Amino acid sequence: MKKRLQEIIESLIFISLEPLTLEKIKSVLTEFEEKEIEQAINELLENYMTNERGIHIIQAAGGFLFSTKPEHDSWIKRLLKVERKGRLSSAALETLSAIAYHQPVTLAEISALRGVDSTHTLKTLLQKRMVKIVGRKKSPGNPLIYRTSEKFLTYFGLNSVNDLPSPEELSKILEEEDISEEDSPAQ
Amino acid sequence: MDASTCYQVKLEVFQGPLDLLLFLIRKKRIDIHDIPMATITREYLDYLDRKDRINLDREAEFLLIAALLIYIKSQMLLPREKPLDEEKDPRQVLVDQLLDYQRMKAASGHLKEKEEEEMQQWKRTVLPSVYSEDEIDLAESFFTLMKRKEREGIKTIKGKEFSLEEKMKEILALLEANESIDFLDYFYHQESFEEALVAFLGLLELIKSKVVIAIQEIHFKPIKVWLQKEYAKSN
Repeated sequence: MKKRLQEIIESLIFISLEPLTLEKIKSVLTEFEEKEIEQAINELLENYMTNERGIHIIQAAGGFLFSTKPEHDSWIKRLLKVERKGRLSSAALETLSAIAYHQPVTLAEISALRGVDSTHTLKTLLQKRMVKIVGRKKSPGNPLIYRTSEKFLTYFGLNSVNDLPSPEELSKILEEEDISEEDSPAQ
Repeated sequence: MDASTCYQVKLEVFQGPLDLLLFLIRKKRIDIHDIPMATITREYLDYLDRKDRINLDREAEFLLIAALLIYIKSQMLLPREKPLDEEKDPRQVLVDQLLDYQRMKAASGHLKEKEEEEMQQWKRTVLPSVYSEDEIDLAESFFTLMKRKEREGIKTIKGKEFSLEEKMKEILALLEANESIDFLDYFYHQESFEEALVAFLGLLELIKSKVVIAIQEIHFKPIKVWLQKEYAKSN
């Protein structure tokens, strides 16, 4: 029975289009106890980790999702005839981090944080659905307020925004960068 | 200023004035909490002077920070009766903004690494069926349908124009609400030939830009339209 539960969950993850959340799995598998389900998922994950397979289950945007393993990238590209996947521009990445760390934010706030007018970049991010509008701010002009979307999480392989390094961790990264810079011989 | 500070950097390298300031601070090994305003302002203005190409939009942003630098410098030059408190340091605004920006840059570097990692892990982006509908077949079905409708006598509503963009939005909204739509059914409910035609062009456009996918699993069966996974439910 336990084995079967694992199999059922596996098929549910396989067939879903977006990361499948634990809540969703539970709501479908009404005949099983929550604890059983959680245990089965953990075993399934372990199973995929230990077995030698080309695909694995990753956790993104608060759910589970099948993906290929990074080491097979070059063959998949060959199959799909993809040379190089499009990446986000540095302006887009900067804007996304401004939003991710300060959300909910308005366009004016994003621009102020970056010191650069971000209208165009934000528009592109909206089109790419990396960012979503969540309402209007109750301040003069009622500007729109933005948040990062589920797609943002899936795109960067994050489970939630809390997965991003905290401001303290970021400061630490910066310190390390400074040290390594000082170590390297001056140009 | 010694010769080593003579560097030539194109404006495009920097994301903005804050990026440039951070670069200068690093270059001069300046402590961000204790910025020598005179040095940094001179460096900054030198850089703006040396720049040859002018982009009006971006220029304003660079000038704004230049103005801020000069303002802070002037504030610091003003004689005061009492020495400045730590809190009243006119540089604080700038320091806070720079620190914030620096963290943001670190975060975007982190995102870049994550992006790189994720790029190598492929996920399924289309629905299980891989038969993608030939556009010519779609066109054929469409005209068959319109002919059938013609026989029933279409009432044409005049004076209304349909925009392609509007129709595309309508189809997307419908797909977001219903997951999939029946292609023939959808066109059958269009009010006029013009409207249906615009809607059809919109659908083709959506298929072309890979936003939706049209599938007919068996010939003569209904053609179903889905959102591509990347566009589905990301809201």
